[in-house]
Amino acid sequence: MAALLEVKQVSRSFSGLRVLNNVSFGVEAGGITGLIGPNGAGKSTLFNIVSGFLAPGAGQVLYQGRDVSRLSVPARSRMGLVRTFQTPQVFANLTVRENIMAGSYKQTASGLTAGLLWTPRARADVARMRAAADAACEEFGLTQVGDQLAGKLPGGQQRLVELARACVSEPALLCLDEPSSGLNSEEVARLMQTLQRLNREGLTILLISHDMDLVTIASSIHVLCFGEIIASGALTQIQGDVRVREAYLGL
Amino acid sequence: MSGTLLLQSALAGLTNGFVYALVGLGIAVIFRGTRIINAMQGEFALVGGMAAYLVLERLSLPLALAALGGIAAGGVLGWLTDLLLVRPTRRRGGTEESFLLLTLGIAFAISAGVLFIFGRDSRLLPGIGGETSQIFFDAAIRTHALWLIAISSLVMLLLWLFYHRTHIGLSMMAASIDEDGAASIGIDVPRMRTLTFLLGGLVGGLAGVLVSPLITIHYEMGLLLTLKGFAAAILGGLSNPFGAVVGGVTLGLVESLAVLSVSSGYKDVIAMTILILIMIVLPNGMLGKRARKGG
Amino acid sequence: MKQFANEVPSSLPASPLRSARYRMWGVVAALFALWAAAPGFASRSVIDMLVFSGLYTIAGLGVAFLLGQCGIVSLAQSVFYGIGAYSTAYCTTHYGWPAPAGFAIGVGISAAIALAVGWPVLRLSGYFLALATLALAIIGQVLFTEWDWLTGGTLGIGGIPQLNLFGFVLNSPQRFYYLVWPVAVLLLLLHRNLLRSRTGFAMRAMRDAPAAAAVLGVDNHLLKVKVFVLSAVLGALAGSLFAHYVSFVSVDSFGVDRAINFLLLAVLGGAKTVLGTVLGALFITIMPRLLSRFGDIHAVLFAGCLIAAVIFLPEGFGGALGRMAERLRARQARP
Repeated sequence: MAALLEVKQVSRSFSGLRVLNNVSFGVEAGGITGLIGPNGAGKSTLFNIVSGFLAPGAGQVLYQGRDVSRLSVPARSRMGLVRTFQTPQVFANLTVRENIMAGSYKQTASGLTAGLLWTPRARADVARMRAAADAACEEFGLTQVGDQLAGKLPGGQQRLVELARACVSEPALLCLDEPSSGLNSEEVARLMQTLQRLNREGLTILLISHDMDLVTIASSIHVLCFGEIIASGALTQIQGDVRVREAYLGL
Repeated sequence: MSGTLLLQSALAGLTNGFVYALVGLGIAVIFRGTRIINAMQGEFALVGGMAAYLVLERLSLPLALAALGGIAAGGVLGWLTDLLLVRPTRRRGGTEESFLLLTLGIAFAISAGVLFIFGRDSRLLPGIGGETSQIFFDAAIRTHALWLIAISSLVMLLLWLFYHRTHIGLSMMAASIDEDGAASIGIDVPRMRTLTFLLGGLVGGLAGVLVSPLITIHYEMGLLLTLKGFAAAILGGLSNPFGAVVGGVTLGLVESLAVLSVSSGYKDVIAMTILILIMIVLPNGMLGKRARKGG
Repeated sequence: MKQFANEVPSSLPASPLRSARYRMWGVVAALFALWAAAPGFASRSVIDMLVFSGLYTIAGLGVAFLLGQCGIVSLAQSVFYGIGAYSTAYCTTHYGWPAPAGFAIGVGISAAIALAVGWPVLRLSGYFLALATLALAIIGQVLFTEWDWLTGGTLGIGGIPQLNLFGFVLNSPQRFYYLVWPVAVLLLLLHRNLLRSRTGFAMRAMRDAPAAAAVLGVDNHLLKVKVFVLSAVLGALAGSLFAHYVSFVSVDSFGVDRAINFLLLAVLGGAKTVLGTVLGALFITIMPRLLSRFGDIHAVLFAGCLIAAVIFLPEGFGGALGRMAERLRARQARP
């Protein structure tokens, strides 16, 4: 299978401190790729570089075979590269349903003037956003809380809202930043099922986590430690790797 | 353009620059201690200058006492502002905008209050050394302006020592950088914030006392003083203790040299344009280090 | 905002809600009747005050929209208000052009300047952005004074012709009242539309979580610039109307204090609700007049109101009313 995302020799420093050192790895289309590593390994920095919030100091990010290193976050999003955040970023003053409606931004096109004049196109867009949001609420079990303000929900549900919103935006590659943090074990189990279902439906997933249970759903795993990839492969290979055991599992 | 004229306007710019620096210093003090941009710093100067004038004229006390009175008035105003207005706003979960609007509102209230009580008249304080001037190569500078520069520099040095060498100064810094951490090692964070406002008020009052022999005390003087002080602080970098001086002097010099080539009416346009450009091009100031992003 | 959120779910058949909605329409009808009849019984000076409320609603709507829906503090609205007014004044008196030309030129220049200035300035955020717009207001004030060949400086421009709508000359506060409020209400409705459209969702998303909005494909900077331009257009429209209404404009009307008034209006009214703008505009025109009976201290009292509003009503009158209505509805919905 071809690599959907390829990170090539990416480095990045902050005030002289090298956070990422020559990191390379790929995300195969159709799979679930895990990126694990202890705290401070540089996972978040790497994720910010992949999604466009940070520019790489050196190296390239290739997406669908194209160098996207210089593209903005929305431009990457339009190509189907969508991420979530470690602390869920919901639109706090919007209801759950409105949050998910906003997810259809790229699937609609009416502009500011059309909105002011409430033209048939603007209306059709909102109807479409609403239909997609209703379906997603159903799919993710959020219908009951659909009219509550997203900012008032408990953390676990905010995470679900963020995931539903990301899915509505029809990503080709979904990057999830610690999606299980703050969830109880039952919620984690449900999240794993959901992610596996989305993956079966054709979504490629890149997963950052330090939750080894969650990472079991990944078809291939890369281990990041002190800014370098120290091991790559399937879960069993990783678990057998001496360096990983030392650095990460602390065994 | 003659050399004398150039030197003359450079000296004027230098004087103005230290005025902006002194106001900017107060803004930086309050920002460093509370993360609030204080839109009423110019009003501290207004109240300080006004108080000094009243002590001098109405109570007929000597200038030194009047100056102390003016500085104290600024400090009391800062202290009350935090206690009575900033704290309640913080308790109700104030945002960046609400603190800006709050201090802006207080600035109007003070300006309107001064207008109500003292009217539209402009007032001048006598300067140190009276009306005398010193001559440098045919260009004159008021003796008072030299005192202003000297005193401002001294205050800046004292503030630096205060923040880096005294227990209370270090506590104030700690309280603003990491609220929870500071509280956990026994620092009374709200008290540090109040002290910060007190200190900012004192610096503002001093600015008023030092400025009033050069520019008149007037109910509308605050806002523009605040903005130029802010420009000075930003230009030098809000986080750097000497930033305000570098920024203020740069701003003052650019302003007064620019006035040589265009009409003096455009002075504020030039200063404000510089302010906007600095914020866009050098958000951390000329001395500031690039802020660390992400993690 | 909240009103819309509660309105949208059409699948709620609960009858107490419906009766509450009828009651709401009753209130709207009563307010409309009161509005329409006001010139019949209110004095000329009261109507004059209400005309200004209408003008400030239009200009303030732009500021409130930026603040409440995009989280941008703009203190530059006085500049666009001035550009609108001077465009109308200059075009109608100097060239003798018809009124629509003044409106169009004011809106055009304002939009162009908002675009050119907003593009770099809107990369700033928070305090920096607020102070940059305040700096713009000061630049505007100085230029309005210095360019006296264009603006008449402190002497101003007089003799601006009254508006003439299909042969009907708007030569009294009463007549202007019937123009300015329908225009204001129309603009409020348009903005209400915008708020619930796709672009409105993007704005609110950007306000609450800019990073997440960007991930959904929203170009935050471009969107801010667009809304800033829209806000400037509203300011210019209000300025042109103002010039026609008072027939004399001078720099006194376009100072920093005016910009602060517009922001005040937005904060007091509650920037998150479109209706709040009207309440804010009524407040900043009526309150000073009520307070003026206390003499010169009214400015202090007025500033005191701002301080109190920032501390006690962080969501403004509109927000407070909305919460009250919600509580009422909740009580009625209970069996």
